[in-house]
Amino acid sequence: MNCEVCNLKELEVEHYEIREVLRCVLHTIIFHRALGLVRPKEIDLELFEITYVQCGDPEVEKKIEEKIEQFIGWVEKHPNKKSQICLSFYEVKNKHGSWFSKQIEQLHWEHWYINLNVAQQPKVQSVKSHNSKVVDTGENNLEDRSIRRAALEASLRDVLFQIIRFVNDKKEHVPPIPNREGVISFPYEIILPSSSDSAFGMDMIKRMLQTGHPTMLS
Amino acid sequence: MDQIVSQFLLKSLHIILDSRIPSLHPNDQRSDRRTSVSRARKNDKWFNLVLGDRPAALENLNFWHRNLMDPMIIDIILVHEGPNSSSVDAYSAIKASVETVIERWVVHYESPRVTPNINDSSLHKKIYKKLIVLLRSLYSQMRLLPAYRTFRQLSSSSQTYNVNLIYKVSTFCNPFSRAEGEMMKEYTFAPVETSSGRFSVAVSYRKTLSDFNLEPATSMIPRIITDYVGSPATDPLRSFPSFGKGVQATSFPSSGVGQPSSAPFQRPHSWTSGFHRPAPFSQGHSLGGSPPTYGAYGSPSPPTDMYSQRAQSYRSPSQRVNSYEEYQLSPPFSPSPSPSPPAYFSSGSVGRNRGRSETAPMTIPHPTASGNARYLSPNFSDPNRHSLPPLSPRHTRLDPSSQESPSGHRSFRRPESLRSGELHYHYVNQKVTRDGRDDSGRFSGLLSSSGSPRIGFSQSSSRLSFQDDLDDGDFSCPFDVDDVDPPASNTGDGREGSESTSSSLPMGTKSQGAAVGMLVQMLRAAPPLQQDASCYSTQSLNTEQEGAVATASGFFMPRKTTDALEELRSYREMKNILLSKSGARVITKEEA
Repeated sequence: MNCEVCNLKELEVEHYEIREVLRCVLHTIIFHRALGLVRPKEIDLELFEITYVQCGDPEVEKKIEEKIEQFIGWVEKHPNKKSQICLSFYEVKNKHGSWFSKQIEQLHWEHWYINLNVAQQPKVQSVKSHNSKVVDTGENNLEDRSIRRAALEASLRDVLFQIIRFVNDKKEHVPPIPNREGVISFPYEIILPSSSDSAFGMDMIKRMLQTGHPTMLS
Repeated sequence: MDQIVSQFLLKSLHIILDSRIPSLHPNDQRSDRRTSVSRARKNDKWFNLVLGDRPAALENLNFWHRNLMDPMIIDIILVHEGPNSSSVDAYSAIKASVETVIERWVVHYESPRVTPNINDSSLHKKIYKKLIVLLRSLYSQMRLLPAYRTFRQLSSSSQTYNVNLIYKVSTFCNPFSRAEGEMMKEYTFAPVETSSGRFSVAVSYRKTLSDFNLEPATSMIPRIITDYVGSPATDPLRSFPSFGKGVQATSFPSSGVGQPSSAPFQRPHSWTSGFHRPAPFSQGHSLGGSPPTYGAYGSPSPPTDMYSQRAQSYRSPSQRVNSYEEYQLSPPFSPSPSPSPPAYFSSGSVGRNRGRSETAPMTIPHPTASGNARYLSPNFSDPNRHSLPPLSPRHTRLDPSSQESPSGHRSFRRPESLRSGELHYHYVNQKVTRDGRDDSGRFSGLLSSSGSPRIGFSQSSSRLSFQDDLDDGDFSCPFDVDDVDPPASNTGDGREGSESTSSSLPMGTKSQGAAVGMLVQMLRAAPPLQQDASCYSTQSLNTEQEGAVATASGFFMPRKTTDALEELRSYREMKNILLSKSGARVITKEEA
């Protein structure tokens, strides 16, 4: 099947904004892909004037929260790095006797890459921050912060628009809704950057291998 | 297939209206709405999107949307009250409402040719699935467009605004004019192609809605009748019973609260000395205006000090619990509102306000009250007057009538001012004549929800003031003694020195007391209240009083002056509080 990939615009976030931003993006994507019976839940972001919609499933919420926590932990260990979170939807196919010799195969049909650039906010006393004026660091910081936050809000809105556009444009590759109960109609996974860059690349390759041949959805 | 099409249209209409029209689900907590639907209605499960109650409009969709192939055009229109409403006579003036289309949604199932329905279920499934996705994205998109913010603001229950969102569904539309078109941005959802046609959803939306100022409909706030003198009959009104009501009024619930608030607001008119309840009358009046104007609480935070002043004036009455004459007012009240504040409010509810003139015994035989009105008017007249245009004429009238002399002809009629006040408060003023503290009436209108408690107080305070005025003997210079300023915050008692019933204030809630205190403060601080300038000074002007204080001059009696001062102070306080709420800090100085 066609595996569609969507690379979302990069977002520059500060540490304390990670949670909200990730929640917003992940939930929005899942809301558009959870094609089971949904009771939409609107959530207002606290930091921004943006309202996003959750699918209302507590399992999903829990899973997303866990992943966010893991991600934050990872970010703390690897400060000042660009990171990417991959949200993938896959189909479970029972494949018999392929050379992979796997019985169960995950056929990914969609990848979403959320690109984040976590700016470690330098402490006020530190000199290496981009507002390096020590004299006015406090004020500068605040100003910069608000500027950055406004920019982030605009970017976040853009990302949401991007998601909606992508969701609308590419509908063909969505597999038929399996007859399963619940909100989530397609299994998904969230892959965080692993601890080393190289391994991250390996993950990507692994994932690509797993998706198998693109085949058109019948 | 037809069913899919019609359901799709219905669902999209439902989504759009749900997130744009606040009136469809008034006072609904969105979350409640959603979560309360534990079991989705069968119809609601279409496209796997549970939306909750379907607005009635949808039921009619089938009737007018005869031909499924027609485009369904949904216009979201922002109705903006004209600016002239801000001036006086908000009620009487014909508001020019400007309607602007801020969004135009076009949902269309285009079927160029009539094809036989292909009952291919797998095809249908695919289409259905795609439509599900489309509707999901529509749902999200609704919340990202600028109009959503407006919708949220309007549907929050705390305030009424001077704009409203309405919708219009049609099958054809006038294209936008050029200028309009330039302001619009377009977005088209990817269409869902089917073998027999395609579903398309597109929107033209206004890029920015900053042109429309969403202001809380403060203009509708009842104006404070500065000259309002408590109705002669106010004595009974003055009392705290009204006060209690006033307290209630303060509850300012949003929409609809206006009413309750109005009750106290009526008071504002009754500025008079004793904050006698005449104020309630006036308040009613002022509120009257407001409720109609804004659905939500009639008196949103009165931005002006007048309100605060009023509040203060009210405070005094409240303080005066002792002036039990005021209690007499209660009987007057009873007519309109039941003694219980809640009832009061209902009666005082806006609708009534205006019509309530009958409640106000209008003639406030309060000479003092008139007197108060007089001096109050100087202070308040300006700020207050304009706010309460209807009342102002009265006030002017009253002023002369109410002259200082205790003989007061209570002409100042609170009734007039009260007329809006519907609330019986006006009768309070009878007693007021003496002090002419009608201002209390005025205050009623003031405060915003937060202040509402205050207003209640002010009313009572005004009542009190009236009472004092009326009963010279009883309230010997209630305001004379500045000692009243006691926990101004709590009860506004401060107003009356002697009588000060600050403690006795029945104010149930602290806030009320605060409001009353503020009123008193305001009154006290009222510079114009000259006579007891000393009183003023002594008054602990906790609350910043704006200069709105009633002019001291003209107080014939020390008592009145003090009362007025107190009232002023309280009003000022209230005003300040209001202003501070809105971020403005007003430091009032003692004019005295």
